[in-house]
Amino acid sequence: MDVATETTEERRARFERDAMQYVDQLYSAAMRMARNPSDAEDLVQEAYTKAFSAFHQYKPGTNLKAWLYRILTNTYINLYRKRQREPLQSSSDVIEDWQLARAESHTSSGLRSAEAVALDHLPDSDVKSALQAIPEEFRLAVYFADVEGFAYKEISDIMNTPIGTVMSRLHRGRKMLRDMLADYAAERGFAKADSQGASGRTEGKK
Amino acid sequence: MGDCQSLGDCDDSRIARIYEYLDGALSRADLADIKAHLDGCPDCSHEYDLECVIRSVVKRSCKEAAPENLKAAILARIHESRPAEV
Repeated sequence: MDVATETTEERRARFERDAMQYVDQLYSAAMRMARNPSDAEDLVQEAYTKAFSAFHQYKPGTNLKAWLYRILTNTYINLYRKRQREPLQSSSDVIEDWQLARAESHTSSGLRSAEAVALDHLPDSDVKSALQAIPEEFRLAVYFADVEGFAYKEISDIMNTPIGTVMSRLHRGRKMLRDMLADYAAERGFAKADSQGASGRTEGKK
Repeated sequence: MGDCQSLGDCDDSRIARIYEYLDGALSRADLADIKAHLDGCPDCSHEYDLECVIRSVVKRSCKEAAPENLKAAILARIHESRPAEV
């Protein structure tokens, strides 16, 4: 297929066939960006409209999903900036102190296996709130990697940041997420299971 | 955590290796190293298990179906707009 000579109708058909299958996925991602379903819908609609009008620039055979995610992310940043007249939620090197402290004080022995079970039982609403509480660029990096399975290089293209930045955002974002989830698990009373699991160690101290 | 030195000399780099392992971002040689290490190190394999649980929980929780009318709305907009000429 020759992109340069295809008719508008052909291009439209190709777009519908190849790009429309990702609507649910892009909507899920948009829900992690926008604060509510109606904004998420607007965002996806806007991103798809842009993607269609730029579809001649998409190189067939390359990763279409990543290309669409890139447009979605750009659309979000542009829309958000227009609406709020503010930069992104936080810049990559400025996180609130408490978040940093929490992210860094976490060690491998902080969570016990009982808590892994507890985390597994957390309701979806808790997991979404935990994600939402993480500063945006960390949240999106984690989402792109852990939910969509994009490689570092793809995330770096989608977010328009160097790979090193992607890796550090992932590292810090995942630690923040883990701490948040542990808090939710504790609030739901899973802390009891946790202390039982660790009782062997407590006894050992006597 | 002396026996974890092969993954890095501090907790942070150790966890980073586990992330990279799960992200499919390690070289073949590193892959063999970390596999061998995880088999023999309860602390690191616990870390690994937790990270797997978190990923699966996040994946599960974030799956949303777009509203019924969204696809139709997108298609309608695409049909009224013309793609830019090359």
